[in-house]
Amino acid sequence: MAAFKITRRLIRDVELKSAVLFRCARRTLCSESANNSPTDGRSPRFSDKEVQNILTKITGLDLQKAFRPVKQELKPPTYRLMTDAQLAQATQKAMQVAKERLKMPPVLPERKPIDDVLAEDKFLEGLETVKYVFTDITYNIPHRERFIVIREPDGTLRKATWEERDRMVQLYFPREGRRLTPPPVFKEENLKVVFLQDRHEDILDLCLVQFEPDSPDYRRVHNLTYEDIDKHGKYDLLRSTRHFGGMVWYLVNGKKIDGLLIDMIQRDLIQDAASVIHLYHMLHPRGSSAKEAGEQQAQGIDLVKIFARTESQKAGYVELALQAYQETSTECSAQSSSP
Amino acid sequence: MHLLHFPLVVIRVAFPSILSASLLLKHYHGGHVVIRLALGGCTNRPFYRIVAAYNKRARDSKHIEQLGSFDPLPNLYNEKLVSLNFQRIKYWIACGAHPTKPVAKLLGLSGFFPLHPMTVTKAERLRKTAAQKEALGAPEEGSEEASESKPETA
Repeated sequence: MAAFKITRRLIRDVELKSAVLFRCARRTLCSESANNSPTDGRSPRFSDKEVQNILTKITGLDLQKAFRPVKQELKPPTYRLMTDAQLAQATQKAMQVAKERLKMPPVLPERKPIDDVLAEDKFLEGLETVKYVFTDITYNIPHRERFIVIREPDGTLRKATWEERDRMVQLYFPREGRRLTPPPVFKEENLKVVFLQDRHEDILDLCLVQFEPDSPDYRRVHNLTYEDIDKHGKYDLLRSTRHFGGMVWYLVNGKKIDGLLIDMIQRDLIQDAASVIHLYHMLHPRGSSAKEAGEQQAQGIDLVKIFARTESQKAGYVELALQAYQETSTECSAQSSSP
Repeated sequence: MHLLHFPLVVIRVAFPSILSASLLLKHYHGGHVVIRLALGGCTNRPFYRIVAAYNKRARDSKHIEQLGSFDPLPNLYNEKLVSLNFQRIKYWIACGAHPTKPVAKLLGLSGFFPLHPMTVTKAERLRKTAAQKEALGAPEEGSEEASESKPETA
């Protein structure tokens, strides 16, 4: 009995410590089965290894941006006396924390609405004027599998909708930073103000905390943010954050990668541009650009040229940027070669 | 002296028995565990905790375990919120705990128990009284109309 209680406490502690990651991993596991390679015949998913590799490479790792000072509670610094080995361990831990901070949040298909009726007891009609919401607060079950049922005033016993579920789970198992009703920032008019202030990263972090990844609100906010970034070309705001991969995935799926490519070429990130086009070919293998690239087995800058010629919408701009890049690179090599 | 060689092992036994009752320094004769509503909250604001407690204990005093909550006042969305820890409720019922009437009604409404007979009876009685009122209302209306038309014609 005591052993059972101790193990339960351990499980509780482990759960508390790794709650978010556990839930994120469980969500991705539930939605996609195994890591299927694109040769499977299905179109590649966000969670495929290849796709994730490309996206992490493109995101980059700017330590200055990842560890920039965050507004937090003012408290006196703690000093610790460590040996060299302990210091190495501490730096490794810091690296792991940085990698976790840069871990991409999952991109899931939108959740289907729940409308499951468990019982219809018409003779209970008129007994009550209010609904009864019954939540199961058993500790060791994942929130997705929790029973939350509602007894309506007309006697029907039905499963709760997703919004009611989120509200109840937040009520009985509150998550830090998440509010019971979503803050008014997420309305369209207020989002515009946020975008004018260039605070896309903050709003995406808020959205991640507040909503579930497959809720329609989450997708709406993310799509609006990505559209705004694409419209104004503010790709650098999200570079080296955890949201960059998601943005690239959205743009590639929507075939809107021209602005991104121009931005990358202007910043001399040709390899990243080539990776983006490689991802594009993985997702749209029947396009003309993919076929030509496959025939010529192009790599690096040639991929970009092929894409600019065939499927690009802003072909002129892309080719101009490429020309400028090539001129600067030849100038540089000429300067370096000349004594 | 020989007792000092043995470390003191405290075994927390969590099933209703005379042993645990003696640990609480109370002697219950023939008491049993119940699952009932313990009242909390403030004036004009009740809030119930669904609790497993000894039968002889005061309503709001020390319980064995809290198994849930019930908020009798409806919230913004016109809902009365009930939380139930089904795993632990199953355990206590397996140990022989008796749920009280309101708890049994709540469990019936939630679908965990079959519907309590008094819930069904109350619903039937309500419908009967509503039907009787309607029946009374109809001949009354008829007589009212007749009495109204009489003074008009008169």
